[in-house]
Amino acid sequence: MKISPPDAYWKKDVALFFGKRFALAIKLLYPMALIVPVAASDIPAQYAAAVIGIVTVMAGTFGAGESLTADLNDGILLRLSLTPLSPRRMVFELLAVNAVLDFVQLLPALALVYVFNPAPLVWVLAATFAVFLTLVTANCIGVFIANFTSSPADVLLYATAMLAPLIYLSGFFRNQNPTGLLAALRDLIPFAYTNDALKAVFGLTTRTTPLEVFVYPTLIAALLVLGLCLTAPRLLSPRL
Amino acid sequence: MADVSLSVEAGGILGLVGPNGSGKSTLLRVLSTAIEPDAGTFRIGGADGIEEKQAARAKMGLMLDRPTHYGDLSGWANAYLFARSYGMEEEKAERALDELFAYFNLAEYKNDRAKTYSYGMSKKLALIEAIAHGPQVLLLDEPSLGLDYASQLAYQRKLRQLAAEGAAVLLASNRVDEVEALCDRVVFLRGGKILRSGTPEELVSSLRGVKRIVATLRNPVGYAPVARVAGVERVAPQGRGLVVHCEDRPGIVAEVVAGIVAAGGDIADLAVRRPSLADVYLELTGEALKDED
Repeated sequence: MKISPPDAYWKKDVALFFGKRFALAIKLLYPMALIVPVAASDIPAQYAAAVIGIVTVMAGTFGAGESLTADLNDGILLRLSLTPLSPRRMVFELLAVNAVLDFVQLLPALALVYVFNPAPLVWVLAATFAVFLTLVTANCIGVFIANFTSSPADVLLYATAMLAPLIYLSGFFRNQNPTGLLAALRDLIPFAYTNDALKAVFGLTTRTTPLEVFVYPTLIAALLVLGLCLTAPRLLSPRL
Repeated sequence: MADVSLSVEAGGILGLVGPNGSGKSTLLRVLSTAIEPDAGTFRIGGADGIEEKQAARAKMGLMLDRPTHYGDLSGWANAYLFARSYGMEEEKAERALDELFAYFNLAEYKNDRAKTYSYGMSKKLALIEAIAHGPQVLLLDEPSLGLDYASQLAYQRKLRQLAAEGAAVLLASNRVDEVEALCDRVVFLRGGKILRSGTPEELVSSLRGVKRIVATLRNPVGYAPVARVAGVERVAPQGRGLVVHCEDRPGIVAEVVAGIVAAGGDIADLAVRRPSLADVYLELTGEALKDED
């Protein structure tokens, strides 16, 4: 399969990702720099899981949001959307390829987490899958934010405003044993399942089962992707 | 924009002319399907531009006023992505792009990143992206702006060739020489409305008997004394100079010059020319057209 020159929208992102070697090295190294020391240390399991979860959420949200905002402001995305390509398909490809590329960035660091913290295979698979779905969700948030932003600084601001309550509800740091409404809301956020799966990898017991980690965030992320794809014509319309 | 109705036949080149803010770019944005009109309809190569956007887009080649590309991809990769996005097959796309990169003297730079291209090279790349797939309809916004002279000639030749092969071209430009040279019909726009339309010959011949004097001044002056000269129909400031429309009678040039001098004008250059489309616009509106560069 030929990636460069790109003959499809998603291949353009892949070509750009692998085309800049220095940037690629940084992208692969920074998750290692943040995650590996945590995985190798003996800090409490819930905080180790939280750090990895936060890095995952940030990588997904800012990557998609900032690059998309830049492309929208530059006008190149509008220009490309005026070809016969379907806007919904473009947004879907954008989400899918960015989530996969973010996953590629995180995978080496994640592998080292499993090396330092041997866990049952089912939890390793569940955590890996949940990290991917968190990236899909975070990319959805980044793309959604790009609907309203005109600069990377805006992305930072909006992302912080959106992510703070989601991170709180997910129980990364606070709200670890929610009840009532907070518990119900927590179940709707894919980040929470990643947190639970990573906690299990680090040896904590969790009330979430591996099956729940595979099923619920998949459904939620699918709904988010679908909803976002429906907003594609708005997202790709000119900024007047 | 309101009350705009126009059509371009296959093989025709229609020029949209008007000053900044007259609605040229807005009209092209609507026709490109980038923005929807509040009311009205339009068809691109038979496809409804509102209900059948994808079909309309497939028939179009589009060049926006500001060229934009993925800067970290090569010029070739950008053009290839567009060609494939318009549904061209791999070999056909490569053949067409090879030909166009050579035609526009970009072959040597095709593997350079687009962000290293000069403005003129970016314009040529945008033109390649607009025409490589052989569109039925071409929408071009100030296509020659920023091109060097040789590239302008190359672009004009290519445009004529595309029209001869059956493409319908809608060209928004304030370069009246280019519009007169290329277009079969011209539409003057002002304030979002069509002011007048016709062939360049029809429009210019409406000024028969009118002389055009263009004076470039070293200092701005009030032009009331010029306007009082007998036979002067219109005076409009254009940059640092004045454009004067007057009767075509003996001695009037000397009287206009005397009027400018009387107003305190220091004439650096003076030209007496046959009327152009710019003069038609001036006659219709009292405003001078300006090149947007």
